[in-house]
Amino acid sequence: MSPDLLIALLTGAALLGVGIYGALSQTNLVMIMMGVELILAGALVNLVAFWRFLHPDNYAGQMFVLIVMTVMALEMAVGFGVAIARFRARGSVEMEEARELQG
Amino acid sequence: MSLLVLVILAPLAVAALILILRRASAALALLGAGLGLAASLALLHQAFDGVYPTLIMPGLPGMPLRLLSTPLNALLSAMVAIVGSLVLVYAVGYMHKDPEKPRFFAIMLFFITAMQTLVMAGDWVLLLVAWELIGLSSYLLIGFWYQRPGVRTAASRAFLYTRTADLGLYTAVFILIAVTGSSQIASTLHTSGHAALIAGLLLLIAAMGKSAQVPMHDWLMRAMAGPTPVSALLHSATLVAAGAILLIRTAPLLPADALLVIGLVGGITTVVTGLIALGESDLKRLLAASTSSQYGLMLVAVGAGVPLAALFLLIAHAAIKSSLFLGAGVFQHSRGSTLLDDLRGAGRDCPRSFAGFSLAALALAGIPPMSGFFAKDAVIAAALGSNHVVVLGVLALAGTVLTGAYMARALHILWHGERHPKTIPGQLWMGSGLAGLVALAAGLSLAFPAIEALLGQHLDEGARAQLAGLAAALSGLTLGWFFDGPRLLGPLAPWAKRNFAIAGGMDTWVLAPVLQLAEACDRLEHKLFSGVFATGRWVLTVGHTVRIIDERIIDGCIFALVRGTQSLGQQLRKVQNGLIHRELAVTATGTALILAFLILALVLY
Repeated sequence: MSPDLLIALLTGAALLGVGIYGALSQTNLVMIMMGVELILAGALVNLVAFWRFLHPDNYAGQMFVLIVMTVMALEMAVGFGVAIARFRARGSVEMEEARELQG
Repeated sequence: MSLLVLVILAPLAVAALILILRRASAALALLGAGLGLAASLALLHQAFDGVYPTLIMPGLPGMPLRLLSTPLNALLSAMVAIVGSLVLVYAVGYMHKDPEKPRFFAIMLFFITAMQTLVMAGDWVLLLVAWELIGLSSYLLIGFWYQRPGVRTAASRAFLYTRTADLGLYTAVFILIAVTGSSQIASTLHTSGHAALIAGLLLLIAAMGKSAQVPMHDWLMRAMAGPTPVSALLHSATLVAAGAILLIRTAPLLPADALLVIGLVGGITTVVTGLIALGESDLKRLLAASTSSQYGLMLVAVGAGVPLAALFLLIAHAAIKSSLFLGAGVFQHSRGSTLLDDLRGAGRDCPRSFAGFSLAALALAGIPPMSGFFAKDAVIAAALGSNHVVVLGVLALAGTVLTGAYMARALHILWHGERHPKTIPGQLWMGSGLAGLVALAAGLSLAFPAIEALLGQHLDEGARAQLAGLAAALSGLTLGWFFDGPRLLGPLAPWAKRNFAIAGGMDTWVLAPVLQLAEACDRLEHKLFSGVFATGRWVLTVGHTVRIIDERIIDGCIFALVRGTQSLGQQLRKVQNGLIHRELAVTATGTALILAFLILALVLY
């Protein structure tokens, strides 16, 4: 394993850890979503690193990363749409208050 | 055609009218019988002219009911009508004081209707119906005085005896219809082979029951419990005659073997019942036994292959026996009893009736020039000319001797004794009925050539048979007049008193086995029932168990599953509490655990 790859993987792991911490510790929907973005970003860093240092001739890895980034953008759009709707209805995006959505 | 209907419906309609009006029954009855008689005589006249009307009515599918007037049918119908009417004339006097007159006359007319139907029937179905109606009406008439002791038993006995024998007729008719496919009597008579033999023997059984032949002769003597006009009609032209008429009409069907059996049954009957008559202590029962005996002679004639002789004797006997019974009825009214001991000298009280009675008795014995002589000679000639002359001839002659003997005995007893003159109410009517029948009995012989011409057959009588018959009749009369009847019988007397009942009688030979059979059937049925019930209980138990299994175990499992799923769902609902952090935490932990497990697996293997 080359040191570059190790550094990249460690970066990805750090991003994942920060993201998990953020998603679990924050109560604001926007902040939680940011945590989730960080988790995904960690995963993407890993993917890119594996492609760049292990299989640089295989473009499927690149394509996969691009698709995941597109899905992330879509997810963000949906997530923020929910947050805006929630804010308009209740004036807050605190998730503890959203328990009333339970069936 | 309308005459055919009138013969049958006139008496029937009047019978119904009598039952509705309930008054003037005697006059109405005479009217009904007279209408029937006129129609019947008109039919006979037509038959002499060669006109034979037929009436076909819708009946069973493919088997229409037929009434038809062949020469034989017209002749028999006229006989029934004449005897019936004269007996009714007599009954007007005899039943003068009876409060139940309407019922009596209605049933008598119904009886005549049934008999006319039987005589005119052209197909087996109608004949069976008429046969049953005769049985029914004779039962009603024998049991007319049902309040008196023993009458109901006698009526039931007569009914059951004839009814049992009727099974023979039913079976014979079924066989004939099955073999030929037609219910018309005329077309079934061409049957041959085994079917004809079996059917012939079955017909014989039916005739034996109705005509009271040995061993089914017992009921006729007991049937004397009915009023005397009933006995007169029953014994001459109707019930008892039905058996002989059946055999005469089906004579072309009968094969030689069946004829021999018929001749033997008739011969044995004529001797056995002749002996019974000789030992009898009651005038009416004596006459009843004599009826059996005479019908035995008719069966001998049928058996000898000459049904025409039987027909002559039937017609002559109808007139003779009804006049004898009517005479006996007069004596009964004068002494209030029919026991011979009570009737000693009764003949002197009513000399005119006695004269009629004697004429009829001599006619029955076979003294020329009366009808009985010619008829009986025809029978004896038939017996002597048959293939079995040794058996049939001897039996026929013995029967003739016995006839003379018991008739002479009755005359002797009626004439010798003290006089107890007494005026009898209704004697005019009774006398005229009696006179008419006696005249018929005496003069019927004049009509025999005409009958032969009508039927297109001729009987050769032969001097031999005439001499033998006359000798037998005279010797019988002499014996009976000079010797006491029971003494003549000698050691046979106690047997004759008991009607030659088979040892132990019905009780031992029929009743006990039947009862045993019934008990066996009963036991078998009980066993079958217990088996069926056991099976039923077992099946019920199985069903019950299955239901319990279904309810407790299968349903229980399913409901438990349902409850389990529901409670699991309840539990899982608690997890879904909407706290997104906890869910995220659980997700992260779960993912971490799975990851750890995968890594562990990767490292270890």
